[in-house]
Amino acid sequence: MVVGLRDFTQRAGDGSGKPILDESNGEELMHVQSSVAVALGNRTVESPGTLYITSRKLIWLSDVDMAKGYAVDFLSISLHAVSRDPETYSSPCIYTQIDVEEDEDEDESDTESTGVLDLSKIREMRLVPSDSSQLDTLFDIFCECAELNPEPIEEEEEESGHNWVFSADQMDVSGGGEEDADWQISQSPTSVIGHSNGEEGLAQPMLELQINDQRFEDAEEMAHESGTKDH
Amino acid sequence: MLFFSYFKDLVGQEVTVELKNDLAIRGTLHSVDQYLNIKLENTRVVDQDKYPHMLSVRNCFIRGSVVRYVQLPPDGVDVDLLHDAARREARGG
Repeated sequence: MVVGLRDFTQRAGDGSGKPILDESNGEELMHVQSSVAVALGNRTVESPGTLYITSRKLIWLSDVDMAKGYAVDFLSISLHAVSRDPETYSSPCIYTQIDVEEDEDEDESDTESTGVLDLSKIREMRLVPSDSSQLDTLFDIFCECAELNPEPIEEEEEESGHNWVFSADQMDVSGGGEEDADWQISQSPTSVIGHSNGEEGLAQPMLELQINDQRFEDAEEMAHESGTKDH
Repeated sequence: MLFFSYFKDLVGQEVTVELKNDLAIRGTLHSVDQYLNIKLENTRVVDQDKYPHMLSVRNCFIRGSVVRYVQLPPDGVDVDLLHDAARREARGG
């Protein structure tokens, strides 16, 4: 279910030109960076535009053409980096690689020759802020948002249930396995992640984390306390 | 998770991360999180012909789900510690 890059044209009708987010599903705007140019694959830079970073995706909207905009989910961004070497790219930028469906045909080069741009085949995207001092900040925000978007838990894992994750010790603390999933999320330092995605299954990696925590004995007690508070 | 603890111990060491798209990036392991997202510093691309643009990159964040292999430094494996951790994991499960 790799989506890749796509067109994005859902702007608020209030004249602000801001993107419409999926707020009912918890999508939040994390950062706005004005005056950002975008370069897709090997294509020329498009500008000026504004970059909106949400808890789910990157959205780049043209400042001049209200019908032009691109979006890509953090789930589809394989890697991102700060690029500053003028020899490989003229402007300092955030370089991203986008996960696309594997295809027999080679990437965007042949779609360009037909004159039709297939966004879903774009593998590289550069974001060039006019203020390059913002690059490190943007990099950190990208990291933060990437961590907000772990892979969806696959069904197979859900079928095998929560059983194998729990140690005998943890079962003693509060009994039922299903309940454990809840309080583990709420006491975890990364609880924001679990809640914002609204997926109970995410408790699994966090549980595994705790089992290996060297302060396991203490963590267990704390977990119990915060668990009773939260419920 | 065993791998998370394990990779945390490798922070500061030189590793090569091979992605599912065949890109291999060598660099110093800066940090790793519970999803095995990896941050590298002082990176260089092993196959520079295929990804010339990556040459300009000195640090990068790699999504855990796109990693195929992480090549470790030969002395980066504490066998005793790993044995012990594996046993604990097995007991716990």
